[in-house]
Amino acid sequence: MIQETASVERPSMGVDNRKLGVWVWLGSEAVFFSALIVVYIVMRNQSVTGPYPRETLNVTLTAVNTFILICSSLTMVTALSAIQSGNQKGLWRWLVATMLLGLAFLGGQAFEFTSLANQGLSLSSNLFGGTFFTLTGFHGAHVLIGVIWIGFVVARARRGGYTQSSHLMVELTGLYWHFVDLVWIIIFTLVYLI
Amino acid sequence: MSEDSKIEPKKSSRGTYIAVFIALAVLTGIEITVTHLPIPRIPVLIPLAIIKAGLVALFYMHLRFDKKVFSVVFVMGILMGLGLIFSLILLFAPTLLDIK
Repeated sequence: MIQETASVERPSMGVDNRKLGVWVWLGSEAVFFSALIVVYIVMRNQSVTGPYPRETLNVTLTAVNTFILICSSLTMVTALSAIQSGNQKGLWRWLVATMLLGLAFLGGQAFEFTSLANQGLSLSSNLFGGTFFTLTGFHGAHVLIGVIWIGFVVARARRGGYTQSSHLMVELTGLYWHFVDLVWIIIFTLVYLI
Repeated sequence: MSEDSKIEPKKSSRGTYIAVFIALAVLTGIEITVTHLPIPRIPVLIPLAIIKAGLVALFYMHLRFDKKVFSVVFVMGILMGLGLIFSLILLFAPTLLDIK
């Protein structure tokens, strides 16, 4: 008897299993970041000694960084839209733009972290420092992973590896990148504005 | 990667993506402006953040037009996260919710 190898993309729920897997993973990431966020919310004003949030956080710089990340979401979805129309050159260009904006965001984060360190804030300085750097540090790590991921997709796109009928990886990459942006939208509001 | 499954959702137009981008930028500007006004921040900023996150999820992540199972799965994660947030706040910082 010949046994049929199960195709990874055979849909049993009417959807691509790979895409469903990514959505399940993003749901778990939502729980992960919720844990970091609630610890920050509960602990940030319970430090015995400074520095304290209101006197240290730079809202202007972070607002610019937030705008950069929002721009990167637009370039990412434009890249997907390009390959959905069969435009391989557009895909590659918009992906590179997304990467550059992601790197700019990381540069802004690095500058902010350095500035905060110069004010005496660190992972071990007080509860505010510990929870702040854990939350934003993990988000920054996610952005870095996203930039590297997009880099691999760019390399394959440059070789014409994606077509109008075969570009699922581009869509999955976009889902991850938009999720990272979505998390930052929440973090920016809760950490810097409230 | 092998040929994509032939399950294509309806797509938004480029104009929609740009409109969402403008909305996100404007809402961010409103949020920053609110911090300079003598009004309570939480009742204004939290809904604005939720709207922005919703725009990203619905249009950039295509939940608006995609199969509902993706929305169910993602929302389940968000609900679990919200449950975690509220339960830990109730346990360790109930005054944040004005609960005596």
